[in-house]
Amino acid sequence: MTAATTVHRPSGFRISKRVLPYLLSLPALLVCIGILIPFLTSVVYSFQRYRLSQPWARQFNWGDNYISFFTDPKFWNTLEVSLLYAGITVVLELLLGLGIAMLLQKRSTLNNFISIMLLMPLMTAPALAALMWKLMTNPGFGVLSYLASLIGLQDFRWASSPSTALLTVVLVDIWVYTPFIMILLLAGLRSLPTQPFEAAALDGVPRSFVFFRITLPMLTPYILTATLFRLLDSIQQFDIIYAMTQGGPGDTLTVFQVEAYLNFFQSTNVGRSAALMIILWAITYFLSNIFIKNWLRLRERARGQA
Amino acid sequence: MASLELKNVVKRYKSQTVLDNLSLSVADGETLVLFGPSGAGKTVLLRMVAGVIDPDEGKILIGGEDMTDVDAEFRGVGMAFQNFALFPHMSAFDNIATPLQARHSSQGAIKAGVESVAKLLKIDHVLSHKPRALSNGQKQRTALARALVGSPPILLLDDPLRNVDAKLRFEMRLELPRLLHDRGATVVYVTQDYKEAMALGNRIAVMSQGVIRQLGTPEQIYREPANVEIARLFGDPTINLLDVKPARDAKGIYVGLSNVQVHLAGAYEAAVGRDCVIGLRPEALSFVGEATPGAVPVTVEAETPLNEKIVTLVRTVRGREILVSRPAGTPGQTEGKAHVAVDGKSALLFDHASGERIGANKVVTLRSGEAA
Amino acid sequence: MEHTSLLERILRGAALTLVVIFFMFPIAWIFMMSFQTNETILRIPPQLIFEPTLANYTALITGKLVTAAGTLDIAFMRNLWNSVFLSVTSVAVSLLLGVPAAYAFARHKFRGSEDIAFTLLSFRFAPALLVLLPLTLYFQKLGLANTYIGLIWVYQLICLPLILWIVRGYFEDIPADIEYAYRIGGHSWFATFRKIALPLAGPGIAAAGLLAFIFAWNNFVFALVLASADKQPVTVGALAFITSSGIQYGQISAAIVLSITPTLALALYAQRYLVEGLSLGAVKG
Repeated sequence: MTAATTVHRPSGFRISKRVLPYLLSLPALLVCIGILIPFLTSVVYSFQRYRLSQPWARQFNWGDNYISFFTDPKFWNTLEVSLLYAGITVVLELLLGLGIAMLLQKRSTLNNFISIMLLMPLMTAPALAALMWKLMTNPGFGVLSYLASLIGLQDFRWASSPSTALLTVVLVDIWVYTPFIMILLLAGLRSLPTQPFEAAALDGVPRSFVFFRITLPMLTPYILTATLFRLLDSIQQFDIIYAMTQGGPGDTLTVFQVEAYLNFFQSTNVGRSAALMIILWAITYFLSNIFIKNWLRLRERARGQA
Repeated sequence: MASLELKNVVKRYKSQTVLDNLSLSVADGETLVLFGPSGAGKTVLLRMVAGVIDPDEGKILIGGEDMTDVDAEFRGVGMAFQNFALFPHMSAFDNIATPLQARHSSQGAIKAGVESVAKLLKIDHVLSHKPRALSNGQKQRTALARALVGSPPILLLDDPLRNVDAKLRFEMRLELPRLLHDRGATVVYVTQDYKEAMALGNRIAVMSQGVIRQLGTPEQIYREPANVEIARLFGDPTINLLDVKPARDAKGIYVGLSNVQVHLAGAYEAAVGRDCVIGLRPEALSFVGEATPGAVPVTVEAETPLNEKIVTLVRTVRGREILVSRPAGTPGQTEGKAHVAVDGKSALLFDHASGERIGANKVVTLRSGEAA
Repeated sequence: MEHTSLLERILRGAALTLVVIFFMFPIAWIFMMSFQTNETILRIPPQLIFEPTLANYTALITGKLVTAAGTLDIAFMRNLWNSVFLSVTSVAVSLLLGVPAAYAFARHKFRGSEDIAFTLLSFRFAPALLVLLPLTLYFQKLGLANTYIGLIWVYQLICLPLILWIVRGYFEDIPADIEYAYRIGGHSWFATFRKIALPLAGPGIAAAGLLAFIFAWNNFVFALVLASADKQPVTVGALAFITSSGIQYGQISAAIVLSITPTLALALYAQRYLVEGLSLGAVKG
């Protein structure tokens, strides 16, 4: 009882309650600032005529880098390829991912095992995945080239031909990222309440009706989050395309980041490269704002269940 | 030991005022019960005393010392949470030991301290279990043991019996007063159960919407509730409330119940001619013979025996339902026509519009020290 | 599901088989290639049955490839070491920076906390090269170009948002009362953080760390832009390897197998947490 009467007093160094949270997040804050500086630098570069090979000619040309894009067929090609690539991959991955998720929806040992196995492509580095597919499509010994020849496609040149390069990289992207959509939608499907489905089954409602009127609407937040997530990544795709073709053949696959990379390191045109990145950033910023709204809603729901 | 004082405490969350300029003082060794509906601000108040929520304005004094800006770990309080808040990754022993470990007590002292409080609370046989292996009652006792073990001068108990079953709650209600008294600590006890409040409190503070509506001994709160709301909250079965308009005749002030004039004992001049509500505790009503003066004719509707008393639902000629309570084993009326007499001394009169109690002996107080 | 017809079950089975083949075949094929000599690899049609050899792995691990034309040095083990070092250190730094911040964001809603958290999140979605290209110029000035420190710092872009948002969720899941109870018992905020918050969020922190490791390991563009050969991880190193060694397909396959094995193993180990990690805490598995 005697110990109880001595109220412990604060002694020595003590961090104020108000300062503490700032102190804890200070490192994260510094990293934020550290990243914002090069970002702002990019903005400045994008308004400059700046070539690494001609540092003496560096000067502000304000909007010239952007204005010249309007008449630059290479830019329009970049925009077109980027949007095409993102559009095709996301749509196909969404359809495939949803289909596979529904195949695996029922909880069983086999289904769980398969869903874990399907994670393996997703956990493979995209750059290494591209190399794997490069080996498989090698005209000399690639197993896919051999299979193509079996179905009558002699001399099918995969990524080396301008007509099939996009198809090939899209295939790799699908291989790597479909599991991402699948696993998110599978989690979504399995978290849906069972009553509406049981009621529909009891009433003998047709399956297509159940799918379009119950499953899809209830799954929408998951689909939106997964799709936007993929769209944000896909429009910035670099690893797969660069590792597979370095943007080629020709300028077939010069998507934004690849084009910016080549501009910077090959043509050393820093100004144009920065302007390209700012445009890509504007697109992703727009998309990520939509994404974060959906993501937050889903996150709150997940936390609520916890 | 220590007294506890809150001075003009204000707490807002966004635009909502949770505690509105609240002052309260608890004497050394006293058990004060904070009673009120959820959302009244009781838990916020308790956490503020504990030091885990900061007031926006006002001061908190413990043993006369200003503790407003002192961190929780230096305040020397013990607290038991409604949801127990046990550390899920520690055994019951380690859970209880944490306040002792904070003082760097020796291993032997910690072991002795934990074991003695565990024995007191009858959980010494489950000390090695993790919280998830404990029953709700054992969890509750572990949480209580953790609050008690350091013999803190101030003990804060946040509805500790809320999440345990009725039987255990009943047992603990009997056990706790002696336990708290033996400790000698100053206790602030939050509850939504009026029986708990009556059983445990030296005084009760009735709170709603961030304000203390009435502060007094259990007896005062029951006999002289500040308003209709408090009268309804205390008492089981609930107080009978009937609309009346008091009038005066030669014998004094009376109200009309089913055409019978019931005279009230008390200074109710101010109520004459006003719309009022009369509050009649069920035990203030009794079955009487027809000839008794002031007997109100009723019809018996139903009878419910509760352990120590019998509650009868009766209907007046005007169709108003009234509960009458009498000790078990005393004669009553089980059906048909009957007559009920009203104890005019214990009747309570409230203003119809404001709900405030009308009467001379006004005990409504927000300041300390006025309650007997 | 009880009413599924036989036909439907066959169709489902066939569809699942196709799915499994499509997603598993490349890994299986590369795995097989890594145990083959160049002669068997180049045989047409491709062989399913062959005499396995460890020669490819031996060559990679010893760093010496002995061929008829002479001895070729392979720096692949160096890349593998770089990957391990960069990933482990980056994650460790991220945990050190991110866990306290996540705790602050979860427990103390202070002015600007959400802004910082969302800015960090936005890094996850901004184009990497937007920051990387100016950084190459800065790094040259600062002497950080082609250093581990520079790389580890940039790797925070991947690891920190992931750790911050996942761990924050785990901290938010701990009832505040539990921490209050510990503090009221007489412990400082730091003791409470160490003895209550950290152990209870432990599994989440470990999972976030593993995921951050996987993402750091799999990253390609940062090291491609900022590192030269001696600091490059496997992702960049393997690409250089494929162009430099020409036709050494067996070794290339073995290198790929060695490069993807750690992440696949970790993913299998932490698969329970993958859904939550991949969605940055938005979806629970």
